Amino acid sequence: MIEFENVSFSYQGQEHNGLHEINLKISDGECVLFCGRSGCGKTTITRLVNGLIPQFYQGELQGRILVDGQKISNLPMYQIAAKVGSVFQNPRTQFFNVDTDSEISFGIENEALPPKELAERVDQTTDDLNIQNLRNRNIFELSGGEKQKIAFASVYAMNPEIYLLDEPSSNLDMTSIQELAGHLRLIKAQGKTVLIAEHRLYYLMDIADRIVYLDNGRITNIFTPEELRRLPQDMRERMGLRAVDLQEVLPLTCQPASGKEMLKLCDVALHYKERSILHNINISATKGEVIGVVGHNGAGKTTFSRAICGLHKDCEGQFLWEGKPMDRKARLKRSYMVMQDVNYELFADSVEAECSFGIRNPDQTLINATLEELGLAPYRERHPNTLSGGQKQRVAVAVSMICVKDLLVFDEPTSGLDFDSMTQVAGLIRRLSNMGKVIFIVTHDFEFVCRTCSRVLHFDEGEMPDDVQVTMDALPKLRELFSVSDGKER
Amino acid sequence: MMGENRKKGFWLDPRAKLFLILMCVLASMVAPSLGYQFILVLLIALLGVLFGKWKYAVNTVCFYAVICVLTVWIMTEMTGTLRTMFVAFLGLFHKVYACGMLAGIVLSTTKVSEFLSAMNRIHAPKKLVIPLAVMLRYIPTIQEDWRFIKDAMRMRDVSPTPAGFLKNPGMTIECIYVPLMMAASKAADELSIASITRGIENPNPRTCLVQIKCGAADWIGMSVAVAFFALELCVQGGVIS
Repeated sequence: MIEFENVSFSYQGQEHNGLHEINLKISDGECVLFCGRSGCGKTTITRLVNGLIPQFYQGELQGRILVDGQKISNLPMYQIAAKVGSVFQNPRTQFFNVDTDSEISFGIENEALPPKELAERVDQTTDDLNIQNLRNRNIFELSGGEKQKIAFASVYAMNPEIYLLDEPSSNLDMTSIQELAGHLRLIKAQGKTVLIAEHRLYYLMDIADRIVYLDNGRITNIFTPEELRRLPQDMRERMGLRAVDLQEVLPLTCQPASGKEMLKLCDVALHYKERSILHNINISATKGEVIGVVGHNGAGKTTFSRAICGLHKDCEGQFLWEGKPMDRKARLKRSYMVMQDVNYELFADSVEAECSFGIRNPDQTLINATLEELGLAPYRERHPNTLSGGQKQRVAVAVSMICVKDLLVFDEPTSGLDFDSMTQVAGLIRRLSNMGKVIFIVTHDFEFVCRTCSRVLHFDEGEMPDDVQVTMDALPKLRELFSVSDGKER
Repeated sequence: MMGENRKKGFWLDPRAKLFLILMCVLASMVAPSLGYQFILVLLIALLGVLFGKWKYAVNTVCFYAVICVLTVWIMTEMTGTLRTMFVAFLGLFHKVYACGMLAGIVLSTTKVSEFLSAMNRIHAPKKLVIPLAVMLRYIPTIQEDWRFIKDAMRMRDVSPTPAGFLKNPGMTIECIYVPLMMAASKAADELSIASITRGIENPNPRTCLVQIKCGAADWIGMSVAVAFFALELCVQGGVIS
């Protein structure tokens, strides 16, 4: 049993993400979902249970958190670790070993189980979770979804009573999310207590017992899944919550593209180290068109976007812009990629300096107008790193506008975003589209695609089998591409 | 368990590797002449080849050979302050090169879990071992980061090549270190969290799925290192001329 008694917490030197007077009891075997806007404190709740607060994150803590009657803040981290297993958002940085077997056994090695038992537990874990195919592999070669499975397996091997998951689906594609849901069902059936902080709600609706809604650090509502489902859509969206049922998500009528043809790809083939990644790609895109790019991890989406931007070397076929062929240099000049982790492309020490970075004669009026337009003007003196994720993304977009790039690629722009931020990104993309830019969006986010894209390209097994308009007519096909199934199991 | 190791080819105990590094430092310190330094580099290259790192071994030896030839040429041809400057610089370079080369091999062939349990066996304090382990794990992450940063630089018209660096050193450095620092501080935090929430601070002696054990290869490796060091000492001391 987990008990929160009058818990308030604020991070050191930070106003956001704090908690106020939380009172909550979670009984054994229960699955509780914490949801709410970014910064509502749902991650903070998980950190209170796994002891990262106050042991790793400092701040002011009031009240008591008891797990099985024991005060968490009095236990050393390694004892908490035996009780509470944690899975985090970023699959890249939550593994500690380079090979999967060592990683799965990492936690139980720390618990000092005898070597014979270690091997048995690892076997048992991989059997239970059905990941025998991931045994003895180099973790750096795995996809995000596979890495997340290994992270889960490592915690599963420790066999804790309580599982904590902090936005585990943020970096996963639709199939991986379904597999994650399967694993959650398994531990729930074993009678484990499960706490999840998450933006995506739909895959948890038949797993969660209670849904706790947080607003500005307070618990303002507790729903059963049934109650949340019955909530009218506009009400739910006002609360900043994502869709509860993807079946109800429908394409918003984006006018079918009918402008002038800008970009044309003729018979493009991409290779990487002599291996063919994609071949026979023929696409034409008109002015202002927003094109979604989907496919499993490893289907060539990244190579494709890098090729469009002139970053990938090994390309065959023709890239035409307004009928004129573009070589790699010309593509590099014309295009810009907004990366999933925007931090990699922010170099300067203020937003304003970022906008003129590397430009010989920066046009100050254009910079001012752009910052104004994207709502970044109040932050022009701030260091980009002190901004929120969404704001950083907008700085990157501002850079692309100032460098007058006409071809934009967004890589997973909505991973880990709540409903409000997602609609903001959608608005931003619509604005860019109205400016006449050609936009590609690599994404797994069905809700987002329905709001922004006019077309979806699907890559699979080195080809592009589908090029679908995002319309009501094509709904069944779209659902198939995003694995939106009507049944709960697959 | 040992069978698993053998399947993967040559394997050394992390403790033996640490010992080799120690011997390498000592051997570099007392090396009587350039010839002995070169032999040391060749021995390390042999180790690299045993680990299956052909390319690394050949490249490092070739590079070192060039430096050696350069050194000999400077010693014989140059005079005055320029010579003093080069000799001082190269002197340091020769002392460090072998150790750096060995460290490269050790880092790329040691698993974090092996390292942790080896450190446990020699009762190294956890306060020292955990940061080292995080560091060991962080190295491959930098390689991934570097790929993204290179792309981002190209899109900003900054060339991520040595030529671009010479043309515009200040900006190139800024482009590399700002995002790398940002990524590093985040990754270090997240890696630490991932390890402490799985109980790395447990004071009980850690076990390991891969059994570490000093085998014949380790003893042979260590004996060769000791023998080489002893030989150098003898030459230095004038026992053998």
